[in-house]
Amino acid sequence: MIFLNFWLNMKNNKVGSGRIPYRNVSYLFLLFGIILSACETGSKSANENVQSRLSNKELKYFSHGKQLYTQYCSNCHMENGEGLGTLIPPLKGADYLLDSVAQMARAIKYGIRGPITVNNIEYNQPMPANPDMTSLEIMELLIYISNAWGNESKPVGLQEVEDITGSK
Amino acid sequence: MNIKGLKLVIALTILAFMYSCGNDSTEKLPIMGRTQYKEIDGKLDTIYHTIPEFQFVDQDSMIVTEETFKDKIYVADFFFGTCPTICPVMKQQMLRVYDAFKDNPNFGILSHTIDPEHDTVAYLKEYSMRIGVEDNSVWKFVTGDQDEIYEIGSAEGYLVPVGEDADAPGGFIHSGAFILIDKEKRIRGLYDGTKSIEVSALINDIPKLLAEYEK
Repeated sequence: MIFLNFWLNMKNNKVGSGRIPYRNVSYLFLLFGIILSACETGSKSANENVQSRLSNKELKYFSHGKQLYTQYCSNCHMENGEGLGTLIPPLKGADYLLDSVAQMARAIKYGIRGPITVNNIEYNQPMPANPDMTSLEIMELLIYISNAWGNESKPVGLQEVEDITGSK
Repeated sequence: MNIKGLKLVIALTILAFMYSCGNDSTEKLPIMGRTQYKEIDGKLDTIYHTIPEFQFVDQDSMIVTEETFKDKIYVADFFFGTCPTICPVMKQQMLRVYDAFKDNPNFGILSHTIDPEHDTVAYLKEYSMRIGVEDNSVWKFVTGDQDEIYEIGSAEGYLVPVGEDADAPGGFIHSGAFILIDKEKRIRGLYDGTKSIEVSALINDIPKLLAEYEK
C-alpha cells in the first residue's frame, strides 16, 4: 500500500502547515487507499491456519506443491479445489483423497480411468497420468492438496510416495 | 479546510472510485476481422468479416444453424470432452457467463466439440448435464462433421486455431478463446476463456452489445 507509506511518512515527519494542513491530508490519502482497494475481490485466506499446523520444512513443500498444482491440476480441479459440477471431482473436503492421501500418489503418477465415487457422487472422467513427475514433486503436491482449502492431513513422506508409485 | 482542499478531496475521491470500480461507458465494441471495401455506384461500401452459414447437431439432437441464433447475440468456443488441459476451466468460466445471461432471450452460447468422433450427441448431453446445464435452450453443445468444425473455427469463421495435433496433450490443439458474435454475425470480441479477468470483461461487454440493439 503506497498510500499507507505516504501516510506514515507524513505522520513521522510532521512537516509544516501550508494552506492545506498536511496531517489532515495524510488521513485522506489513507481513505483513498481504502476506497481504491474496496472493489477488489476478497483476499484468499483459506490456507491461513496452515502456517501454524505445518513445520517450516513442510510449509516449503506446501508452497512448492501449490506451484505444481497450478501447473498440473488447477485447470480441471480448479484453483479453489472444488472441481466442476459432477464432471470433475473436488479435492476440497473429498473423502476419496483424505481417507488415503498417500494412495493418491499412484493416481497422480499413472492417472485414473473408469468411474470413481467421491463424497457419494459418481464421477467418470479420465484423469491423465503424469509419468514425468518425480516422487518429491508428488509428495509436495500431496502435501498441498491435503492441507489446502481447509483440508487437514498429516503430511505424507517421500518414502511412502516411493513405495506406492514403485519409483524414485 | 479551505475550498481548494475540499475540491482536491472531491476530485481525488471521484478518481479513486473510477479507478477502482471501472466506469461503464457506452462506447461501442470493435468490429473484428478483415474489413473489405467495395465500390458500388461510386460509393464505398464496407464489408465486415462475418461467420459463414453452418449446420451442427446439439446435445438434444436438434439441428443448430445460423438461423438458431437469429436476433440473438452469442458467445462461441471450442473444446473436447476428454481434454486434459484447459477445457474444464473454460467451462467453469463459461458457466459464469451462462449464469449471468441465461434468462435473456436475446443471448446464447455455442460450444463446438473438436473431437466429434468421441463426443457424440449422447456424450455431449451427459457432459452438459454434469457441468450443470439442464437443457439446450441457451447453451448448445454441438458436434458435426469434423472438417466443417475446423473450417468454421479457422480464418473462415471465428478466427481461432483448432485442429488435430498428435503432439498436443489429448491429441488436439485448440484456442481457449471465447468469441462474442453480434446479430449480424460479426465478431465483436475475443477473450481468453481460461482467465477469469478476461471473462469478467466479456460479462461486462455483453450488455453493451445488447444495448446497441435497443434503440
